[in-house]
Amino acid sequence: MDIGGTFTDVVCYDERSGAVVAAKAPSTPGDLAEGVFNALGRVVAEPARISFFVHGTTQGLNALLERKGARVLLLTSGGARDVYQIARGNRERMFDLRYRKPVPLVPRADIMEAAGRLDWRGEELTPLDEPAVRHAARRAREEGFDAVAVSLLFSYANPAHEIRAGQILREELGPDVLVVLSHEVAREWREYERTSSAVLEAYTGPVVRRYLAGIQERFAGRGLGVPVHVMQSSGGLVNAGYAMRRPLQTLLSGPVGGTMGGVAAARLLGGGNAICVDMGGTSFDVSLVVGGRPDVSAEARIEGYPVLMPIVNLHTIGAGGGSLAYAEAGALRVGPESAGAVPGPACYGRGGTRATVTDANLVLGRVDPAWFAGGLMTLDTGAAERAIADLAGELGMEPLRLAEGVCEVANAKMAQAIRTLTVEHGVEPREFTLVAFGGAGAMHAAFIARELGITDVVVPRFPGAFSAWGMLEADVRRDLTHPFFRPQAGVDGGEMAARLRELEEQALTALAGQGVPEDRRRVEHAVDMRYEGQDYTLTIPLRDAAEPGEPGFLAALAARYAEAHTGRYGHATPEAPVELVMLRSTGFGTFPKTSAAPQVAGRAQAPAVRDVIFNGEAHRTPVLRRADLDGELAGPAIVVEETATTVIPPGCRATVDVNGFLLIKVNSL
Amino acid sequence: MIDPVTTEIIRCALLQAAEDMNTTLIRSSYTPVIYEAKDCAVALLDREHQVLGQSSGLPIFLGNLEVCTRETERLYGRQVWREGDVWVLNDSYIGGTHLNDVTVYGPIFADGELAGFAASRAHWLDVGSKDPGGSMDSTSIFQEGLRLGPVKIYEGGRPCRDLHEVIARNVRFPHATLGDMRAQVACAMTGQRRLSEIVARWGVETVMAARDEIFAQTERLERQAIAAIPDGVYTAGGHLDNDGITLERPLPVNVTVTVAGERIAVDLTDCADQASGPVNCGAAQAVAAVRVAYKLLVSGEVPLNGGSFRPLEVVTRPGSMLAARSPAACQYYYSHLGLLIDLVVKALAPVLPERAAAASYGDSLIVQFTGTDPRTGTMYVSQEATVGGWGAWEGGDGESALINNVNGSLRDMPIEVLETLFPVRVTRYAMRPGTGGAGQWRGGNGVVREYEFLGDTSLSLWFERSVTPAWGLAGGGAGAPPRVVLNPGTAGERAMLKVNALPVAAGDVLRCESGGGGGYGPPERRAPSAHAEDVAQGMVGDS
Repeated sequence: MDIGGTFTDVVCYDERSGAVVAAKAPSTPGDLAEGVFNALGRVVAEPARISFFVHGTTQGLNALLERKGARVLLLTSGGARDVYQIARGNRERMFDLRYRKPVPLVPRADIMEAAGRLDWRGEELTPLDEPAVRHAARRAREEGFDAVAVSLLFSYANPAHEIRAGQILREELGPDVLVVLSHEVAREWREYERTSSAVLEAYTGPVVRRYLAGIQERFAGRGLGVPVHVMQSSGGLVNAGYAMRRPLQTLLSGPVGGTMGGVAAARLLGGGNAICVDMGGTSFDVSLVVGGRPDVSAEARIEGYPVLMPIVNLHTIGAGGGSLAYAEAGALRVGPESAGAVPGPACYGRGGTRATVTDANLVLGRVDPAWFAGGLMTLDTGAAERAIADLAGELGMEPLRLAEGVCEVANAKMAQAIRTLTVEHGVEPREFTLVAFGGAGAMHAAFIARELGITDVVVPRFPGAFSAWGMLEADVRRDLTHPFFRPQAGVDGGEMAARLRELEEQALTALAGQGVPEDRRRVEHAVDMRYEGQDYTLTIPLRDAAEPGEPGFLAALAARYAEAHTGRYGHATPEAPVELVMLRSTGFGTFPKTSAAPQVAGRAQAPAVRDVIFNGEAHRTPVLRRADLDGELAGPAIVVEETATTVIPPGCRATVDVNGFLLIKVNSL
Repeated sequence: MIDPVTTEIIRCALLQAAEDMNTTLIRSSYTPVIYEAKDCAVALLDREHQVLGQSSGLPIFLGNLEVCTRETERLYGRQVWREGDVWVLNDSYIGGTHLNDVTVYGPIFADGELAGFAASRAHWLDVGSKDPGGSMDSTSIFQEGLRLGPVKIYEGGRPCRDLHEVIARNVRFPHATLGDMRAQVACAMTGQRRLSEIVARWGVETVMAARDEIFAQTERLERQAIAAIPDGVYTAGGHLDNDGITLERPLPVNVTVTVAGERIAVDLTDCADQASGPVNCGAAQAVAAVRVAYKLLVSGEVPLNGGSFRPLEVVTRPGSMLAARSPAACQYYYSHLGLLIDLVVKALAPVLPERAAAASYGDSLIVQFTGTDPRTGTMYVSQEATVGGWGAWEGGDGESALINNVNGSLRDMPIEVLETLFPVRVTRYAMRPGTGGAGQWRGGNGVVREYEFLGDTSLSLWFERSVTPAWGLAGGGAGAPPRVVLNPGTAGERAMLKVNALPVAAGDVLRCESGGGGGYGPPERRAPSAHAEDVAQGMVGDS
C-alpha cells in the first residue's frame, strides 16, 4: 500500500488464485489509518485473512515538508555547538546575492554543549561532562521538548560518550521523549551530515512512531494478527517495531516503491538493468536498477538537509503533465515551472490559460478527453487548443507543430535527466529496459526511449499503483556499516574477515528479529574504497565474509577496484595507493514473490479510432482498452486503462506478456 | 530558419553536454580542491571559440576558458588542431589566474572537420611553487611553480610521456596531480563524445543555425535587462589591505560603470599598478570578475553561452594589478577580484535596489599549514577557506557563515575529516555574534575557528578586507573586519592577518575570526521582534 498525498493505492495478491488486484481510495490526511482501511476494504473482503502487509508511509516526510515535526533539543560536543547552524557554509546558487541556507530545524538557542572529547581514532581526550548532559535533560523536561538528538565528535569511531549521554537522558526523561544518538542513525564521519541525520530522525521520529503505534493498534483491533511492514528509503522492508526505533529510514518510503517495482519487473523479464521513470503532474523521477539491484546511495539531501543513510537514488526534475510551455525572447521553453493542480493545465477548465504538456498531448489526440484519470475528469479540448494557439502565435508556429514540439522538448529534457544519472554511474542507457509508470509515464516512454537509443519499454500492470506493487515485491533489508579507515597496505585480512563475521552475525540476528525464516536469510558484504586523497568511494562487493582472510585477497581487491574505477570513470591508476574506508554488510530476507496469473483477455470490443498527430501528420489510430489487448499490436495505437494512457508511436510494436506487462519494442530514431 | 523546437532541444543538449563534462571531472578527480571545493570549470566551445555550454563550480572562472584555445590558435595557426590531441596551459598572463589553475582542452572533430573544443580548468594542489601549495609572499611568477604554455599532453589519443615526466618531476604530489590531470582529460573526452553525438544527430548546419539563434536569444534578454537600468555613470571604490609584502600600504581599486541604453561599460583603469606581492592577475581574469558581477545584477542563474556578455565592455590598464605583465606574481589573483565584484554591485545598487545587497565579508580568508605528519612521516598541505557573513538587503537579513563569492560552492572542511587527515585539532567552530552590520536588515555574522597544532608546522595566512570591511547600504552599518590571533590570551599572543610559512610549534593555538556582512537601512528601523529574536538566538552582542 502506498499512501500518497492525494490517494492511497493498494495492490493485493491472492496467494491461492494468483490474482492481483489494485484499488485506490482518497488519502485521509487527518488520520491516515482511515484511508488505509478504506483502501483495504476495496480489495479484501476479510482483513483477518491477510498474511502479509506492507506499506509506504509519508508521515515523516509530510511533517518535514510542512515543518510540523517535533521540537528538538540538540546536544553537541564542547566547541561544536554551531556546526549544525553553519551547515558547512556552502551556497547552492552561484549568482544570488540573497542566498539563504535551508532554515535549520533546530534554532540556535535550542543547541547545547557538553564537554568531552575524543580524538580521530576515538581515544578519549577529555571525559564526558555528565552534569552538562543532566542539565540538558532538565531543560528538555522543563521546556517540554519532544526529542533530544545527541551528536558528539568522532562518535562513529567510538560511541562511548554518546551511549553514556543516551543513558543519562533516558534515565532523566523516561520513554516519552525520543532520544536519538547520531552514531546509531549513521555510523559515518562528517559531523554536520551526521548531526543533520540525527536531527531529522528526532524531528520526524515522534510523528512516525505515533502513526505506526496507532496503525498496529487498529490492525489488532480488527483481528489482524499480521505484523505491519514498512518500506525504507533503502528499498528494503522492516517491521513496524524496528521502524519505530529507526524512523528516519521510512522518510522516502513511498517513491522508492516504484524502484523496487522496477527491480521486480527486471527480474520477471529475465534481465537485470532497468531505468525506472515515474512521471506525474509536476515532477519526473528517474532511478536505476543495475544488475538486478536498486541503485542505492549512502547519502542524500532532503529539502536541502543532508542525510547519511542508504537511500534509493532518485533523480527528480520539474517535468510533468503540468509543466508550462512559454516563449522567452523568441525561444520555446518547457518547465520546470508547473501549472500545478490549480489552475492546472488549460484543459482542466479551472481557469488556467497557459499551455502545458498535458494540453499539448490533448491537442495531438494522444489523450482521451473523456477518459482522463480513469474517467474521473473530463478535459476541455477547446481550452487546450486556445492555449496552444496563443503560444504558437507568439512563436510564429503552426499550432500542431508547436504542440508536438512541446512534447518533444519535454521528452528531450526527461531523456537528459536519465542521461545525467547514467553518466554518473558510467553505464550506457541502451543496455537498459525503460520501466514507465505514474499517471503520465507511459504517454511519453516510447519517445524518451527513442531519444536514448533504448529499444525496450515496459508499462507494468496498474502503472498508477506501481509503487504499491513494488513494495509487495521487496525484501526485508538491514544495512550495517563499520568504519574501516586504513591504507590498503595496512589491511590485516584476518581482522577484516573477523569484523565482517561480526556484522554478518548482527545482520542475521536482525533478520531473525524481523521474523524472516532461517532459510530465507542472506547477507552480502562490500567495502568502500578509493585512491588515497580521493573523496568519492566506490563500493566493491566481496564474495563473502571469509574472503578477506584468504591468500591473494588484497591483490584481487585492488584489481576489482581498478576495474570498477575504469568502468565508472573511464580510467584508473593501478600504481596509485588505495585505501579502505567502510565495511558494509547488508542482510536480506526474502518473502515469497507474487507469480502473476496469466492475464485473461476481456471481451474484445471494436476499438475506437481517432486522428492522432505523429511527426506532423494525422494518423488514424486505434484506441484500445488495456484489458482487451491480445497478440501483437503495431503502432500507432493508444492504450487506455484506469490510471494511465500508453502511447505507441508509429514504427513501434507492443505485446502483453505472461505477467500482464505491456512490452513496447521501440524503433530507432 | 530553424524552428524553435529544434533550437530548444539542441540548447538543452549542449547544456547537458557541459554538465556531463563537469560530472566526469568532479567525480574522478583526486584532490579535495576539485571535488570538494569545486575549484574548476568546464566549457564546450564551437570552432570560433564561443561558448556552447558551460558549467562552473567557480563563478570566477566564468567565460574565460576560451582564451586558452584562442591563444593556442593565435600562436600555432588553425591547422594545429588534430583529432585525439589534448593540450594543457596554465600561463597566468593568458588564463588570467594563478599557475595552480590548469586548463586542459582538446579539439572536437565531426566527420573529419573541426567542430569545436572541450575545455576544463581545475586547481592543482601544487605546481612546484617555492612553498608547498603556493606562497603568500611571492614577488615573481618564477617563484610560483611550473608554467606551461599551450603544449600537448596527448597526441593522437596517446599520452605524451615526456611532458608527463616533466610534470611529475616538478610538482610535490605527482600521483594526485597526474590523477587530476587524467580526470581533466576524461572530461575533455566526454565533451568530445557529446558534441560529436549532437552533430551526428542534427548535422553541422542545423547545430550552427541553432547556435546562432540561441546566442541571439541570450543577447536579446541581456539587452532588455540592461535597457531597464537608468542610464548614467556610477562609481565605487575601496582598498585591498596590502600586497602581502608591504603590509602597511593599501592598494586602491576603483570602478566606473557606465550604463548607456542597452550597453554597460566597466572601466578598471583607476586601480593600483601591478604590485610586487602576489595580488595580480591577467586581464582575462579581471574580465571574468566583471562578468560575475554582471550575472549577479543582470542575468542571474541563466546558463551562459556565446551570446552572453555581448553588451558588456571591460577596460583594463596593462601594467595594473588587474592586467599584469610578466613577471608579476599572481598566486593571490582573486582578493582584488572579490573586492571588484562587490564594488560593481555597490556602484549599481542605487539603481538596482531589487537585485543588490550590502557587501559580504568578501575574501577567501585562507588558512594553510604544511609539514610532515608525525603520525605517518609523510608531507601534507592543508588549505582551507573560511566562511563569513553576507550583506543584508531590502527585505532580508544577510546570511551568516557562508562561503564568499569567489569560492563558489565550497564547503568547509569537517572537523572529523581535518583531524583524521592532518595533525591538528579544532577546538572551537562557532558563530561570531554581533559581527554583522546593524541595520533595519542586519548583516550576517562571521565565524570563529580555533586550531590547536599537534605537530610542528609551517603556517601561512591570507586574511583580507580589514581596510575596507563589508559596507552597509541605505544607512546600514558595516560588518566587523576579520581578526586572527596566535596563542590568544598568552604572553606570546600575536595578532596578524597575512603571514607566509611561519614556523609554529605543537601546542600552539590559532584563533581565526571572519568578518560579518553589511547591514541595510537605518538600524533604528529594525523591527523590535526581529531584534528580540536576535537576542534570543545569541546572534547579536559581543563577539
